[in-house]
Amino acid sequence: MAVFKINVNGKVQTVEAEGDMPLLWALRDMLGLTGTKYGCGIGTCGACTVMAEGYAKRSCQMTLAEVGEDKIVTIEGLSKNGDHPLQKAWIEHDVPQCGYCQSGQIMRAASLLLQTPKPTEDEIKEAMDSNLCRCGTYVRIFEAVKSVAKESK
Amino acid sequence: MNATLTRRSMLQIIAGSGASLVLGTFSSAACASPAKGATFAPSAFLKIDPDGSVTISINRSDMGQGVRTSFAMLVAEELDADWTKVKVVNAPGDDATYGRQGTGGSGSTRGMSKQLRTIGASARLMLIGAAAKQWSVDAATCRTENGKVFGANGKSVGYGELTEAAQSIAVPETVTLKENANFKVIGKATKRVDNHDVVTGKAKFAYDVSVEGMVFAVCLRPPAYRATQSAIDDSETRAIPGVLDVIAIPSGVAVIAKNTWAALKGRDKLKVTWTGGSPDVSTRTLRADLKKAVVAHKAMTGTKVIEASFELPYLAHAAMEPFNAIADVRDDSAEIWTGSQSPDGAQNQTARTLGIPKEKVIVHNLLLGGGFGRKFSNSWVAEAVDLSKRLKKPVKLLWTRECDITHDTYRPMSEHIMKAALDATGNPTGWSHQYLQAPAGRGNGEYGANTYLPYEIPEAGMRGGGVDSPVPTGPWRSVEHSQLIVVNECFMDELAHAAGQDPLAFRVKLMKSPRLKKVLESAAKRAGWGTAMPAGSGRGIACFDGYGSCIAHVVEVTFADGEVKVTRMVAVVDAGTTINPLGVEAQVQGAFVDGIATALRSAITIRAGGAAEDNFDRYHWARMSDTPKMEIFIEDSGGNFGGMGEVGYPSVPAAIANAVFAATGKRVRQFPIKVEELV
Repeated sequence: MAVFKINVNGKVQTVEAEGDMPLLWALRDMLGLTGTKYGCGIGTCGACTVMAEGYAKRSCQMTLAEVGEDKIVTIEGLSKNGDHPLQKAWIEHDVPQCGYCQSGQIMRAASLLLQTPKPTEDEIKEAMDSNLCRCGTYVRIFEAVKSVAKESK
Repeated sequence: MNATLTRRSMLQIIAGSGASLVLGTFSSAACASPAKGATFAPSAFLKIDPDGSVTISINRSDMGQGVRTSFAMLVAEELDADWTKVKVVNAPGDDATYGRQGTGGSGSTRGMSKQLRTIGASARLMLIGAAAKQWSVDAATCRTENGKVFGANGKSVGYGELTEAAQSIAVPETVTLKENANFKVIGKATKRVDNHDVVTGKAKFAYDVSVEGMVFAVCLRPPAYRATQSAIDDSETRAIPGVLDVIAIPSGVAVIAKNTWAALKGRDKLKVTWTGGSPDVSTRTLRADLKKAVVAHKAMTGTKVIEASFELPYLAHAAMEPFNAIADVRDDSAEIWTGSQSPDGAQNQTARTLGIPKEKVIVHNLLLGGGFGRKFSNSWVAEAVDLSKRLKKPVKLLWTRECDITHDTYRPMSEHIMKAALDATGNPTGWSHQYLQAPAGRGNGEYGANTYLPYEIPEAGMRGGGVDSPVPTGPWRSVEHSQLIVVNECFMDELAHAAGQDPLAFRVKLMKSPRLKKVLESAAKRAGWGTAMPAGSGRGIACFDGYGSCIAHVVEVTFADGEVKVTRMVAVVDAGTTINPLGVEAQVQGAFVDGIATALRSAITIRAGGAAEDNFDRYHWARMSDTPKMEIFIEDSGGNFGGMGEVGYPSVPAAIANAVFAATGKRVRQFPIKVEELV
């Protein structure tokens, strides 16, 4: 057992756990941040996507020991009042069906727009292909991301 | 729809399952917050609070199909509620209060709409009665709008101010439901009630719930179906920090730990010897067995005979949220948190298992992260209950993705042997469909081909059958239509070509259902059916009438560089009367993605008596780049509310296969489509 100080949503938090515990389970079981979801455990579905230093990371594939001083942002920390442009676009385009994968989808899109504020349609598809949605909300996700990309400066 | 109900039937409807109507109070489990003095709660499904908020309890499970929104719309419509003040809560698993809660077969809206509307309409009349009494006017002179009662005297009062007075108003003898033309909420594009919670990560699924003192459990399950553990070496597992216990249960070996990660690590260190099962069974042996089960078609006459056979695979549901539950079994009661398509089943099953009255079992049904027919059995609830009973503490059980995919109850693998005859003019004179499954499903022997054929075909017959198989199977989106309609619509295309006729004209000529004919012709027109396509591309058509709705799909594909790509989709849907156009469209979009996935890549392969695919790296599903632009049109015929969860799927793989034929000249005989056979 070791003690880790990790920066999550702008707050340094102490987690006492094994160093090989994936960030996903630390967030969920230790810090009560349950917006980040378990989907596959092997990095193929993207339901657990968070941002580390602005880059989309699959939290099931990143151990606590690897987090280091990276600033982690989860869906709970994306905005104060749920008013990040992507969150608003998700509501406006009525994206969610079951909703389970959408935290990961939004975090993937947020990272894309941080790195590439004006992505092409192909760049949106390439980035979002990493995230599975079994309800098949892809068309609306695409439109939602596109609408925010269009407005970004 | 306009329905007048007698007082007696309304009382029964309002009370859900014939229990007596209780005004102003709730059954103890009915709502998260207990009824306050001035709360007006004419039914377990509805309460109005003094602040004007309207809380609607949803008795069916929302797994993404949107019943939390559409059910609330049905009540709000007849109540003339202020939509901004409508709140939605999930009903607990409790069929004594809420009636049957099993959610599937597109039965929710079709089964519940009249009851929900009647509740809204009754409450509205009672609120009017309360206002009329206050104003000493005739109730008939009052009207309602947007959460308020208006009097002819120019006065108005909000529903929230009437909650106490409404409790003493008699339940109306009859209620008349609104004519469609007067709908203000029904038919209006309405965003999901859960959107804000979902996009902020606040939406709660069962695994997001935390209960004081709970321990975590994951299971190792046998590699082959029906195998059992004969020896367990758990020494390395128990050495993992955080692992608390290892318990053999009927379905496998459970590792109990202080957190999910310790349980997962512990599970990976288990050394279990499995015995039994059917290690010799594979997709290959099952396919060979199915082919041996084929019998001769009955004789048919015609100038041209067409024969074909189709192979369909096992399909996993692979909902994004795998099974999970928290069970807290105490001495004479139990509390469960889960996401089940049958929350009442979870209550009944747990009460039976524990030998306690069902009122002592509280089942909190949370949001379901997908279901698709998988989340009916409550087998995972039984496992959590079993573990909690043994450990005497709350247990939070998670099925890993590997458990979920390898121990699914799959859409059955099937073989379809087709034969039809055409006369000299190209009209069918006979049709035979042998439907063989592993394992054999219901409908063994001869049964109604016409149930699955919207076409006028004389001498149409269907024969069900199959072979023994240890592979567990169950309902999957659109159930048997996911096999029968896919094959029938492919074969219809083949008959049209054999008759030298256009696949659209051939279908239209034989069509029995005027509703289906209309959407089919509309989809064809909107898609530009009959216009030329570039080389290497093709257009396919297919349609389906089922679950109270009709749909037609026109799909365009390209075949290049060894890859089939779906490039366009046009769908026209008739949902009878659409409650929420955004919801209908979403279901058509989602079912289309399922159709792409299963037409092009998804299958479960059986090896050594178990599933070869165990996660999304091998059980491939469609991604965004597989998904084309979709042009979806709702063209309602105005009848009853139709189901939407199931109807969008069956014609999709068929339309894709028919488009592949148009592009390549090769008939699809297997799903998923084998591209190497198209060259």
